[in-house]
Order: sequence, then structure tokens, then C-alpha cells
Amino acid sequence: MSLLHDLIFFENPTIWNDFGGDYGGFGGVVWQMFIWSLLVGLLVAVWMGYNLIYFRHADGDPDHKDALKVGVFPHERGNPKIEIAWTIAPLILVSWLTLISLGPLDYMWDVDGQEADITIEVTAGQWFWSFGTPICNEEKEDPEEWCSTGIYQKPVNFDECEKPTANPRGCLEIPYGAVVHFRLTSNDVLHAFNFPELGIKQDVVPNLETLTWLDSGKFETGQYSIWCAEYCGTEHSLMDADIFITEVA
Amino acid sequence: MNRKSLKILSLGFIMSILLAISAFPTGDSIPTGITDDNLVKNGCTCHTDGPMSSDVVITLSDLPEKYNVSQVYTLTLNISGGPDALADGNQGGFFIQSNYGTLESIDNNTWMPEGETHLTHNEEGNNYREWSFNWIAPESDSKVVKFTVYGNSVNGADGNAGDYWNKGEFSSAGVNAKIAEDHGELSMPQKLIYAFTVLVVTLSVVVVGNRMVVNDQSFEDVIKSYWKCVYPWLTTTDHKYIGTLYICTGFGFFFVGGILGLLIRWQLFEPRIDGDFLTYEEYNSTFTMHGTTMIFMAAMPIIFGFANYLIPLQIGARDLAFPRLNALSYWLLPTGGFVVYMGYFTGGAGDVGWTGYTPYATGDSSTTPGTDFWVAGQIMLGASSTLTAINFLTTMLRMRAPGVTMMRMPLFAWSIFVTVFLLLLSIPVFTVALILLMADRTFGTLYFDVAAGGDPILWQHLFWYFGHPEVYIVILPAFGVLSEIISTFSRRPIFGYTSMVYAMATIGIISFIVYGHHMFTTGADPLFRFIVMLTTMLVAVPTGIKIFNWLATMTGGSIVLKTPMIFALGTVITFTIGGITGIILASIPVDVALHDGYFVVAHFHYVLVGGTIFAFLGGVYYWYPKMTGKIMNEKLGLIHFALSFIFFNAAFYPMHNVGIEGMPRRYATYDAQFTELNEFITIAAFIFGFAQLIFVYNVIYSYKNGEDAGNNPWDGWSLEWATASPPPHNSFTEIPTLKLAEEED
Repeated sequence: MSLLHDLIFFENPTIWNDFGGDYGGFGGVVWQMFIWSLLVGLLVAVWMGYNLIYFRHADGDPDHKDALKVGVFPHERGNPKIEIAWTIAPLILVSWLTLISLGPLDYMWDVDGQEADITIEVTAGQWFWSFGTPICNEEKEDPEEWCSTGIYQKPVNFDECEKPTANPRGCLEIPYGAVVHFRLTSNDVLHAFNFPELGIKQDVVPNLETLTWLDSGKFETGQYSIWCAEYCGTEHSLMDADIFITEVA
Repeated sequence: MNRKSLKILSLGFIMSILLAISAFPTGDSIPTGITDDNLVKNGCTCHTDGPMSSDVVITLSDLPEKYNVSQVYTLTLNISGGPDALADGNQGGFFIQSNYGTLESIDNNTWMPEGETHLTHNEEGNNYREWSFNWIAPESDSKVVKFTVYGNSVNGADGNAGDYWNKGEFSSAGVNAKIAEDHGELSMPQKLIYAFTVLVVTLSVVVVGNRMVVNDQSFEDVIKSYWKCVYPWLTTTDHKYIGTLYICTGFGFFFVGGILGLLIRWQLFEPRIDGDFLTYEEYNSTFTMHGTTMIFMAAMPIIFGFANYLIPLQIGARDLAFPRLNALSYWLLPTGGFVVYMGYFTGGAGDVGWTGYTPYATGDSSTTPGTDFWVAGQIMLGASSTLTAINFLTTMLRMRAPGVTMMRMPLFAWSIFVTVFLLLLSIPVFTVALILLMADRTFGTLYFDVAAGGDPILWQHLFWYFGHPEVYIVILPAFGVLSEIISTFSRRPIFGYTSMVYAMATIGIISFIVYGHHMFTTGADPLFRFIVMLTTMLVAVPTGIKIFNWLATMTGGSIVLKTPMIFALGTVITFTIGGITGIILASIPVDVALHDGYFVVAHFHYVLVGGTIFAFLGGVYYWYPKMTGKIMNEKLGLIHFALSFIFFNAAFYPMHNVGIEGMPRRYATYDAQFTELNEFITIAAFIFGFAQLIFVYNVIYSYKNGEDAGNNPWDGWSLEWATASPPPHNSFTEIPTLKLAEEED
């Protein structure tokens, strides 16, 4: 029962709701994708079914005048009008789908003018996430200081400023209802900052600062996870961090 | 070419290779001065960035062979060799750790950092190369204690230049310890490979022995009679033999890759801790080898096997333009494949993913020899494909029979024509990228080294510039097969032949400008990402034309539902699903959530298995009569199709759901919320895998018991049906002329 339920329903990433909300509700890009997929899929299936029912070969059918003969290039079949029609129709459809993808793209990418309530430096490494100050900043020997850098951050335990060996779980606490920017960089190889609940993903690249953001007001308060989505080695699947969204008085 | 010019040519080759080697930008150290991570991980945080040196000798004296419970031993550690020490100041340092018992400092030269269990030197201690300390033996007498020691022999000068370090291991056992002989634990895939090897050797001994006894032959006679069978296959340049070899090798690797796929599925049956079934490292090797095998050693060889066999027949040529080059292309395949798999015998196959992203692939963290073999083998496979591309282009442009103009080639021939163009333009880029990667890994060059200023995204550009045309290289021939089968079994010419050809050519051209859609989350230029979103969407147009043309071919036709046709129709359904999810993924805002997740895995398995493999399984049923003269068993074929189609969808459809809910790909373990669906997927995948055994059985069974096919069992039109089944040695007794239906009327 619940397996069947799982196969039919799924929890969509939260960010998709915003695509629907600001960009036309039911007409949002995700919904349209879904509906058009269904329509095209049904068209193919129904047409094929129709062919199989009405154009089956029966024993004793006479050969059509077009029938294939070995060693003879057959008559060309075709109908330019129909062929042009099914060139133009998909062209219009995909152009439309590209067009309606632009709005959400602005929403996700256009952060230049956006005022961030909090900006958090995120450092990824094999295989941990650390938040706040880049790791191994020797000026901050006192663990208490970690928490005071950003108001709400709890750091990974970096004893003696060594590279953590055994997959420590990083954690981060952010206030409810804030626009949070993450500035991402990597210590070693490629990683990807993946917040599956929300549906954002941004590669974390060594020697390059990338940026992603979220609006914690779109969530309920509570605990969420951050996973690594870009393959980074042995403990790739264990590279996670907790993110807490808490109401601040 | 005469001997002299050959000599000059070889000299030229050697000169250019030497020149190329001298041009490698090499460096001993990384300019930014970052120390080697590996050393830190090994526990040697000492002041050095060089490699381990065997000049440094480490001894640990007074360590008993058998220890007494809880007794205190005073051990002395000595390092010798390395640089001559300056008279005053620093001479060396050490690090020692034991897995049982307790280490204890007894003087001012050594200390144990707080919270740690290892001993190391302190400021005073680094004026010596010999240190003493206590070791308290464990309370149990059944332990085998291992000591891991690092010693650094330094010259006392500022900086670490001229310092050398080494690692040593020592052990002591309790009186009741069971000392296992140190074979080293075999990894799961290694066990499998050894098991297979044992099985094959045993089987061959039994078979040979059986023949010796039953036929009363000597060992030499039996081997000679086998040699007589094998020899023609080893030395052939005949396109039909080579085609058959390609197809068999391809399906052989498909079997191996399939087993790897099932290992992946079993690992993901439930969330597993490291080593529960496969260790995470083995899992990473497994999916790397699965991807590499399926794309380069299964899909492409199957395609080029069919191309080898059929293209000369379809265009009315006796053979390919360069038969010996063709043989070379083939033999590079099993060789390259073997090299890629060598990793399993050297402590773990490559674990960089089939995409081999740098900087992970350049680093020490990836399984070292395995990844080197992965790179080397891939270069061979790249060379093989490049040669094949040249061979086919020449053949198809120069050797068509009278009447076979370009616009009268069968659509399978057209699909191969477009494919080899793509291959020729894309695979050298990958090969060059691999050579750069190999140089980085083995010669110490810095092309992809981020710390030295290399571009962290460069590899992705090079890889996907090849990688995206590559997926069309494997899907276009499938389109060709579908066009042939659907037209033949509808007993009508294909609808819109010309638009089919233009559609394939368009897909080929667009394929070079869409690759950026693999990099939507990298942080590449937004304009670049926007443009590739648009071009990716455009691929749907020619692909849609093809699907509609197939359906229109059936409309008004006279459809005969035999196994090849049923496979073709199944493929149209599964491929359509794969195509649609491709469009969904092309939309950046949606892709950002789905990228690198199971939705993507579902998508490309729908395209590659549901498209390429299903189409070519249909192709086997369709052309098997031509190749062997026997028709494959219809009933077994239908059962094979039904099981494959149902369980393929059962295995891969739920991956869409898992992906939307957020499960990332390449995860060796996962969040418990996905367990139920993953169990379902795993069970379906195993049934899908076992269903393929029916196909293997059918191929063997029909070879012995199949009905005679005759020249043209399906009433096809193209020239391969005009010759005998199987075709005679030179393919045609007389070069045929393709007639035109209009002239016939």
C-alpha cells in the first residue's frame, strides 16, 4: 500500500512551489512540464495502440502496391504538410517551455539586488561541511569564538585545527524568516551543496566562490539535512550536515 | 608505402613524441606550497612534502615477539639514513601508534598530544634520531599488536628541503593470539573475479580432459583442433567475422557490466554501513566500472559490431575500405577493456566515476593504480573508435554499389554515417583529455591541478564536449535499427525518408552545442547555461519528427507482430519516456533540484537501456537469420520481451520518484526514507537481469535448432537481404545494383 503510494505521490522540492506561486500557480513551469509530458506520452501510446488495432496484417492480405521488394529502393512516402506540422508544433512547445523556465531562473539566479539577512561562508572538504569561518583559521583557538562569528552558527569540532578525519557532522542554525546567502568554496575536490528538501544544488568548486541562497521563511522550523551531490570519493554518501531553522524571539 | 618512407615516418613519430614529452609543464612542488594531503592522512604531519624514501631505515628494538599481559616494555626507536645531520639543532622526528596497549612517554624528549594515543617527539626530542618510551601491553593475551611508525630524518636546515621520511610497521603477539597468515582481505569484486577464473579454468580442464578421454586423443591433438577453430577468428580481416567478434565482445561486456549493475543494486537494497556488503570504496569502483563498461565496452561494440556486419552488405560493398585497420580497431577493444579491468588485480579498480571529474581524478585520493589503468584502457578504446570512424567514413563515401546514392542508403546506414562523423569529431577530444590526465597522474604535470592554478572546470568542458555527442553516438544507430524494423514489419516504406535523414543530421549537429546542460550547477557563465538550455530543448524537435514518422509508417501499413517488431515498439515507448524526462531536465530551474540525483539515473537508463539496448536486442532478432541462416525462437523471444519490458520499467520507473524526493546518485548508502522504493527497484532489477539469460539461451538454442531462414525471411528491401544467409565469403557473389521502385513499375 505504502509502496504504491510512494510510486504515485512524491514530496516535491519546496522551491517548486515558488515557481508555481510567483509564476502562474497551476501554470508554473513544473506543472506545465508535467502536463505536456503526459500529453506527449499519451499521444505516442494512443497512436501506437490505434495502429496496432486497425492496421494489423492478416493472413491472405494482398500485397500493397507500395510493399517492399528486395534490392529495390521503395517509393518515397511522406506528406510535406504533415511533416512540417510536426516539426513546427514541437518547436513551439519547447520554445514555450524554455520561455516559462526564464521566470524561475531569475528567481533563482538574480541575487545581485537581493538584500541578504545573513551571509554564511561554507567550506566543503573530504568529507565534511563547515560553516562560518574557513577551517583552520588559527586565530580562533577558542571553540566558543566559532559560535560568536555568525550569530547562529555551530562549527564542526576542529580540534587543534587539524583536518577532521572521521566524518564529523557539521551543523548550522539559521533563524526563521531570513534570506540566507551561502558563499561556497571547497578545500580539495568538487562537492555540491545540496538541500534536498528545498531543491537547490550548487557545485562547490576549489579556487572558485559560488553562491546559493534560501528564504528560511518558506519552511517550517525544524531540522533539515544538507547532502553532497557531486561525487567526491569514498565517504561521499556520508558527507552531510544538519541545518536547523529556529524561531528567534 | 615502401620500407624507407616507413622508417622516416617512425622516426618522425619518435621525434614528435620526444618533443611532446619535453613540452610537458612539470613541477616538483606545487607553486602555492600546499603540503601533500596524503601525508597528513597517513599520520605524518612532519615537515616535508616529498614522497616516502627508502633511504630512511626505521628500527624498533626491544619489542618482544610474544608479549606478556599488562607488562611494561621499554622500547627504543631508531632512524638512520637520510641526510647528514648538522652538528647542532634538528636531526629528526617520529610518530608511533599502536592498535592495542598504551604508549607512555618516559623522558623530556617525547610526548603524547592531549586526547591522542600516539607518541611523538617534542622540541627537545628533535635533536635526536633515537628515542625511548614505554609500552604497556594489553590485558588480553590473544591480540596481535601492530605498531605504525613514521620517521623523519632531517638536515636541520631551515625549511624541509633535503629531509626524508619513511614508514615502518612492527608487530607483537599475545601468547594465545591466532596469527592469521597475512593474505590481505580480498575485496568482493576480486572474489568474484577469482571465482570466475577458477570456474573457467576448471571448465576448460574438464572439457579438454573429456575430449582426450572420449576421442582418445592426445593433449596436443585436442589443443590443435581448438586452435583450428580459434585461428581464423584471431587473424580475420573479414568484416562479418570482425562484426561477429564485436557483437559477442559487446554482449560479453554487457554481461559483466550487468553483474556490476546488480552488485550496485544489492548494495542499495537497504542503507548499508561501510563494508556491510561492498565497502564504500568498492562500491565507487563498481559504479565506475559499470558506467565505463556499459558505454564503451558494451553499447559501442554492439553498435559497431552491427555496423561492421551490415554496412558493407547494405551499401553493396565486399568489405570495409581498410580491413586490416578494422581488425586493429577490434583488437584494441578487448585489450583496452582488459587494461581497464586490470585495476581489480592491483588493489581496486578506478573509482572516479565514468566521467572521471578532476580534481578528484588527479588526486591521490582516487584508487591509484586502478585509476591509472582506467585512464590507459580508455585511451586505447578511444584510439579504437577513432580508427573505426575513419574506416566507415571512407567506406560509405567511396564504396557504395551502383544505384546506392547517399539518399538511397538504408536508414541504418545513414544513422551509422552520422554516428561516425560525431565519433570522429568528439572522441579525439576525450582521448586528448585522458592523455593530459595521465600526464598529470603519472608524470607530475599540472594541467588539472587546481592548487597550481588549473581551471577546476576545464575537465568538465573537455569531457562533456565529447560526452554529449557520445550519448547520441549510442542512440542514433538505435534510431536506424528502429527505422529498418518498423518499416519492414509494417510492409511499407518508411514515412518521410528524407526528413528522417535530415532529422538525424540535425541531431548530430545540435549534439555539439548542448553539452553545457551537464554543468547547470557548476557556476559556469549564466549566459552559457541559458544558451545550452535552449539548444537542449531543440533536440526534442528532430527526435519528435523521428517518433512521429515511425508511427506514421505504421498507420496505413500491414503490421506483422514478430519479436523484432515487438522489441522495436517497446523501444519507442521506453525511449519516448526517456526523451520526455530529457526535456524536463533541460529546464534549468527544474534541473537544479534533480541534477546528480536518481531522476537523472532513471532518464539515462531509459534512453540507453530502453533506447539503445532494447533496439539492438530487436536488431539481434531481426538480423540473426541473416548472420546464421536460422530464425530465432519466437516463443522464447516473446517471453524475453515481456519479462524485460515489465521489469525494466519496474526497476527504472521508481527511480524518477526517488530522484524527485532527493536521493543523490553515486551514494553507497542513503537516507532510510528511500528504503522501500529501493528494495522494490532492486528486486525488479534482479528479475530484469535474469530475464536476459533467456535471450542467451535462445541465441544458442536457435543456432542449433532454429528454422531455416532463407535469404529474406522478413521481406526487407535493402541489399543485405539480397545475398545468402549467412553471406558468402566475399559478401556478394556479384556486386548488386540497387533499383528504384519508380523504374520497376
